Amino acid sequence: MSKKPPQADPFRIAETGTIPKKPVVISGLPDVGLVGLLAASEMISSLKLNEVGAIESDLLPPMIVLHAGVPKSPVRVFADKSLVVIISETAIPVPLLRPLANGLVDWALRKGAELMLSLGGMAVANRQDIDAPKVFAALSEMALEPRLKGAAEILEEGYIVGAYGLMLRKCTEVSLPAITLLTQAYYNYPDPVAAAAALNTVNKILDLNVDVSGLLRRGEEIRLRSKDMMHRTQEELARMNKAHEYDLPPLYG
Amino acid sequence: MSVESKKVSRDEYGGQPETSAMHGSGWNVAAACIEPLYNVLVAATEVLLTIDLPYVTEKSVKLRCPANDVVEIYAETSRKITFKDLGVKHRHGEFTCYHARIRIPVPVDEARINSKFKRGVLEVHIPRLK
Repeated sequence: MSKKPPQADPFRIAETGTIPKKPVVISGLPDVGLVGLLAASEMISSLKLNEVGAIESDLLPPMIVLHAGVPKSPVRVFADKSLVVIISETAIPVPLLRPLANGLVDWALRKGAELMLSLGGMAVANRQDIDAPKVFAALSEMALEPRLKGAAEILEEGYIVGAYGLMLRKCTEVSLPAITLLTQAYYNYPDPVAAAAALNTVNKILDLNVDVSGLLRRGEEIRLRSKDMMHRTQEELARMNKAHEYDLPPLYG
Repeated sequence: MSVESKKVSRDEYGGQPETSAMHGSGWNVAAACIEPLYNVLVAATEVLLTIDLPYVTEKSVKLRCPANDVVEIYAETSRKITFKDLGVKHRHGEFTCYHARIRIPVPVDEARINSKFKRGVLEVHIPRLK
């Protein structure tokens, strides 16, 4: 009898610490302008969140990232008593997007999450001319609008390409409340100002007080430090046809 | 910011041949130069090129077109930048400039190039040739 080849393990969260009950799960995955990653990283350091897990996948590049000399997965989970924040320090390969989106929502459901909050960027051509980037919100159900507290404008029509779009749809299917915040940003340049705008909106929605001044003060350093990450991310954005988000949906109601 | 459209030799800025523009990682220690992130958008009447240049002031930006399908950007940084400044201890090198040779995919009128610099991003407009 021939042996079956080992199956690839597309998604697994290895928990190493305490996950809070009924958490708000915030995703800061790298995409347009690295808005989500920069904002979530600032949250982690500002709120002094603890590392509580890592995402393992055979679809991730064969790599680790060293922090304080300790080897870690580039996709990690942080938490305090009510928040869970997920970040990735590597561009998410396109084949991983669907398992990641489904796996994260399934995991959040098992943890009894009360809200999935995803942070991303919305590319705008005239970003240089925008002083205060606007934040848009796509909701898993319109009943969530009051939770925005007027801090974001609802996105009613359009495409969302990538993990966040898939997560939002899955959350709708399983009735897990979800908000995807998309902040006006440079498409392929790290945008700490947009990340600060996103964080201000998160502060309002969740009644937090994350300090965004570091993102603004260290803007040039952050842009340069994130240059290579942005370059890798841009390659994946092209592979997933992110530019589709510029298209107008053909159907009307 | 200076803009030149005359044809110049490839090495006038101590530059790299186009094929090695990314230097693998974009950090050319030997030349103390960083390859910036850039974007080329071909529109109906013009080519819009943007380049991200943190730690650069407008007056240090030099642009030229050594050929009618290449734009070359050179900019000195406002201060010396080291890997250590960026939190990297296992690599050594310091950087004082950005440099890139950017291939333009359609014919353009390089004599009518114009640009603006705002929030650390250089925006270059070059009319397409009809």
